[in-house]
Amino acid sequence: MRILVVEDEPKAGDYLKNGLTESGYVVDLARNGVDGLHLAREFAYDAVVLDVMMPQMDGWQMLEKLREKSDTPVLFLTARGELQDRIKGLDLGADDYLVKPFSFAELLARLRTLMRRGPVRQDEMLSVGDLQVDVVKRKVTRAGTRITLTNKEFALLQFFMANQGQVLSRTLIASRVWDMNFDSDTNVVDVAVRRLRQKVEDPFDSLSVIHTVRGVGYRCELET
Amino acid sequence: MQRSLTVRLALLFALLSLVLLGTVGTGLYHELEKQLALRDDAALVTRVDQIRTLLQDANSMDLIRNKPRLFENMLGNPEALLVLRFSGEKPLIEVNPGKVPIPEVPPVSSTERLTLSAVQHTVDAHDVPFIAVAADAHTTESKHSLQIIAGRVMSERTRLLESYRDRIVLLVVAGTGLAALAAFFLVRLGLRPLRKLASQTESIGITNLNARVALANAPSELSPLVDAFNAMLDRLATGFAQMSQLTADMAHDLRTPIANLLGQTEVALGIARSAEYYEALIASNFEEFQRLSRMMDNMLFLARSEHPEATIEHAHLDVASEYERVTDYFEGLAAERSLQFEANGYGTVWADPVLLRRALANLVANAVQYADPDTTILLGCEADGSGTRIWVENTGDAIPQSKLPRLFDRFYRADTARRGSSQSSGMGLSIVRTIMTLHRGRSTAFSTAGQTRFILFFPACRTNS
Repeated sequence: MRILVVEDEPKAGDYLKNGLTESGYVVDLARNGVDGLHLAREFAYDAVVLDVMMPQMDGWQMLEKLREKSDTPVLFLTARGELQDRIKGLDLGADDYLVKPFSFAELLARLRTLMRRGPVRQDEMLSVGDLQVDVVKRKVTRAGTRITLTNKEFALLQFFMANQGQVLSRTLIASRVWDMNFDSDTNVVDVAVRRLRQKVEDPFDSLSVIHTVRGVGYRCELET
Repeated sequence: MQRSLTVRLALLFALLSLVLLGTVGTGLYHELEKQLALRDDAALVTRVDQIRTLLQDANSMDLIRNKPRLFENMLGNPEALLVLRFSGEKPLIEVNPGKVPIPEVPPVSSTERLTLSAVQHTVDAHDVPFIAVAADAHTTESKHSLQIIAGRVMSERTRLLESYRDRIVLLVVAGTGLAALAAFFLVRLGLRPLRKLASQTESIGITNLNARVALANAPSELSPLVDAFNAMLDRLATGFAQMSQLTADMAHDLRTPIANLLGQTEVALGIARSAEYYEALIASNFEEFQRLSRMMDNMLFLARSEHPEATIEHAHLDVASEYERVTDYFEGLAAERSLQFEANGYGTVWADPVLLRRALANLVANAVQYADPDTTILLGCEADGSGTRIWVENTGDAIPQSKLPRLFDRFYRADTARRGSSQSSGMGLSIVRTIMTLHRGRSTAFSTAGQTRFILFFPACRTNS
């Protein structure tokens, strides 16, 4: 997967490139809109991450010019969260946006959604190691033992297992599992994850499946 | 260009005086002109009448024939014209010092009486009014009647009227000027309180927002203005005080995470550390940055919501399912503290879904944080015609009555010890209040005997949709 990042702020450009490269993407970085437009027209990208506030040619202008010929998914980054700004971007043909500051995990999640062609297919059976989740029957078993979870615990586990290997931020988890689309001051997510781990990990001798990524959030994978 | 009220009023007053004086002057002028014309006409008619009578005496005719100079001398006025003639003959007498052409006037027959209507009004070559009368007269000497033609050029009267008119114009102009001047000073005098108000207002700035305008003996028309102005100053002073307090609070609250960031990073950079140390440091920094970011988001949310043009969406939301959502969310956190949720009451609220959830989550988060362990958090709902009340109640230390009114202020914490300040931003309740203001609702708090209850009132939907 090839991603073009257009960002004039040096530090932001660098960390976006590093982070995306480490997440397995091939990343090109353009430091201004003119270069960005040139690259975007020259090569086939799977997605473009576009900063709006740039000198010379800003993100809006670049997006407008890009849309004349290409329908590459574009996610724009804006420092201003005003509604008009967001509407303007989406009107110009952007596919999604993030308001700075944003969580990198959130950016990854949005990019994955953008690049996923076709409808989302939900797995009926999810598994990591000896932990299995039957989504249809809402049944969780580990090493053959049935585990009883509350509705939200089940939703949380399902979300983790459907996004194995990815770092999931607390905000993202709160938004996808509880539909709480704002940053709250509480550690609800931490507590919920802790309680989930008490049920799916503590009683078993097997390896742990949910890992804390310090400061950022959590990742679900079988420890190797 | 700004136009001065004083000048404008003075000019208006001058214009008014001009019109009034002008009308009076013109009226007087025309009246005088009419009277003079009448007098002149009567004089001419009288003269012709006298000559007619004179001619009936036989001696007079002799006198005319023999001593015409006598008449000429008698009428030695350059304005006058007198012609006596038998029709078709050379005039017996022609007194015409002004050399005016003899006017063609139909003569009044000798049997008729002379009246003012016989006077013919014309103007001469120089546009000077000219009046003339012609009459036939019986004479003793002939069967033919003698024609008398008398006229008068009104040059003197014209001069008199001209000078009269000039004087009137002069008086009108002078009167207008005087009126304007008087009006100017009177208006200036009348507006003096306004200038005083302006100079007092000018001296009020950010440094002395508590100063108020005070006008001694202010005219009654100005007192509402002064009162309104002072009321505005009150509101501004309050708003300004709140804003500076807010900035101070915000700076203060930003100081904690920034101090942590600076301190721990500085210490870490002091000597070489292990990778684990750096990792822990960066993770800790990350947490502080998230805190800063959250604070900023909340500040922005509040600032935008308080913008007068802020608008929200509305939908009928089922309270029971909203309660279910929020208790699901806090389920784990509550269980950690052995707390139960008990949601009662059914109804709907007319509210913005995201904002309602945010307000409710903030209240429940508080309740979970401050409830005594092993107690139940009550979620209630009550609707009537005016709207819907929803509340969150927990058992725990009561909040002192004196602190209740300030609970919803930004950055205010009832517990000064700042329990869990690393998590809480101190803005939760002020966000609740802002959300309620956006809904034109109310947020209130009660705390008695270990029960603390936060009530949100959402007004009923006013449209029928």
